[in-house]
Amino acid sequence: MTIGKVLDPTATRDDDVASPGPDAGVLAGKKIGFRLDQIWRAWDWISEDWAARLEEAGAEVSYWRSCGRSGEEGERMAAELKEWLGTIDMAIVGLANCGSCTGWTVRDAITSVNTGIPTIAIATKNFEDFAHEIAARGGRSGLRVHVLPYPLNEQERDDVKAIGEAHFDAMLEDFGAVLEMRDAAE
Amino acid sequence: MSVTLIRPSGSKIAPVPKPLVSRDCGPAGCEVDWLASRRYETELDFEGFNSFAMEQGWGDGLPLVPPTESRVRIFLSENDRYPDEVIAHLPPSRAECTVEKIAINAVMAGAQPESLELLIAMVAAIADPDFELYGINTTTAPVYPAFIVNGPIRDALDIPYSYGCFGGVATRANAIGRAMRLIMRNVAGQVAGVTSQSTFGSPGRLASILAGEWEEKSPWAPLAERRARIAGNAVSCFGTMGTMNVLDTTSQAPRDFLEMIGKSVPYVAANCYTPAMPFAEMMVAINPICAEIVGKEMPNIEDVQECLWRYASVPADLLQRQHREQLEGQGRVREDGRIYATPEPKDFILFVAGGLGGLHATGFHSFGSCLTQTRAIASPIPAEQAQAAE
Repeated sequence: MTIGKVLDPTATRDDDVASPGPDAGVLAGKKIGFRLDQIWRAWDWISEDWAARLEEAGAEVSYWRSCGRSGEEGERMAAELKEWLGTIDMAIVGLANCGSCTGWTVRDAITSVNTGIPTIAIATKNFEDFAHEIAARGGRSGLRVHVLPYPLNEQERDDVKAIGEAHFDAMLEDFGAVLEMRDAAE
Repeated sequence: MSVTLIRPSGSKIAPVPKPLVSRDCGPAGCEVDWLASRRYETELDFEGFNSFAMEQGWGDGLPLVPPTESRVRIFLSENDRYPDEVIAHLPPSRAECTVEKIAINAVMAGAQPESLELLIAMVAAIADPDFELYGINTTTAPVYPAFIVNGPIRDALDIPYSYGCFGGVATRANAIGRAMRLIMRNVAGQVAGVTSQSTFGSPGRLASILAGEWEEKSPWAPLAERRARIAGNAVSCFGTMGTMNVLDTTSQAPRDFLEMIGKSVPYVAANCYTPAMPFAEMMVAINPICAEIVGKEMPNIEDVQECLWRYASVPADLLQRQHREQLEGQGRVREDGRIYATPEPKDFILFVAGGLGGLHATGFHSFGSCLTQTRAIASPIPAEQAQAAE
């Protein structure tokens, strides 16, 4: 048996921010952004339903939709995202519901939280671990991730609505958010 | 909305590789410890090392060559790169892919030192933001980068471009493709079920596809020259879902061959029709026999691309309503009621390869927003020549 030394073929990045970023705090009066994509209608539906609840509480909602991420289209997306992040106080970023879309959801969420605004990524259960893994590899292991059931996009509108309603309070909790000042006092 | 066209980003201008200067001082010529990677003490015999490597998560399950310091130093000493040179940051890990890491993985895969500059060009190509490696390495799709090589280096490295060129040829060049896959695993961090969510994967994720273009049999300019005006040694890479065979034992006329290929490649569940991505490229390998026939009538390859593109579409009403509505919303249904596989004819990327038995073409569906990249392969120049030039 010959013993000797071999060289490590792997490489990892060393930097990491374990902080989840700032809590969202009181949402009333805040500008809240939803990041959407081109695939998941269930996420469009849940965003609409959550947006209605937030607007009722006095928040202002805007949307940004991720499209192609390469070529001129990708450059346009990056510029749009940067500009949009400059117009909102906090971001709800989804949907991590496949491989590449989890990758881009987390990547955009990291871009958001790295600007200093409260940010939460939304993933479905099957992609929860992956979302955390990819966040850590993106240098932001503490990224907030709220988890919705899986499968989700295969459900009917009414079922998705019920899921959204059932998860709204838990999402706020994960986000460190309360709807209004009186909620904070409680 | 209207069809989103594929236009490379501003980062797309391919950098000219730096001329390498042969030198006396380097990994083999100095007492300096050039290698920065962590050393592990382990058994070096076949069973011992391969068990250790699997435990460490370094391998692909096939036997690996132990990357001892002496092997890595020899590999580097036969080249003209310093090991600490950072070639790229590969996603999703975004860790530094240095020459040293490339060399270690190449040694493990069994690749020869002469392959280093090709490997570096391959890494640089896939690291271009337009290649969208982040998506490739995380997606549920089975996509992987495939590489087509132009120039004399094809023969120098025994890269196949004739019979069986996309898999099955016994050649040391297979180890280069495998080295690339080990780099993807060990440096980029693509691990099935951990970072990669690929539902099925692909045999191409083991040793990739590394083939040459049979330039000498092509009636058109070499692929790298057409794409990036690079004459000589170059590599083009594209993300592909795998090979798709197109058989035609009947056609005689050039346009008949192209009609058969064009009509065969689009299918409604292909990535080019996903609403997740606004566009896709389509790669097609044309065999030398077919290429000769087509080339006589169409010496301009743009005409071939145009002809293929016109056939490569599906009627929108072939799609179920909810699928069709998504694409309609993206403006992808044209006035003729059809959805084309690619936005424009130029997005059909063609090259000549394969055996002289003819009959078949190979289609490669892309990963949507992953755009094909072409890079020159650097070659060393003697130090005296470099000094004289200065």
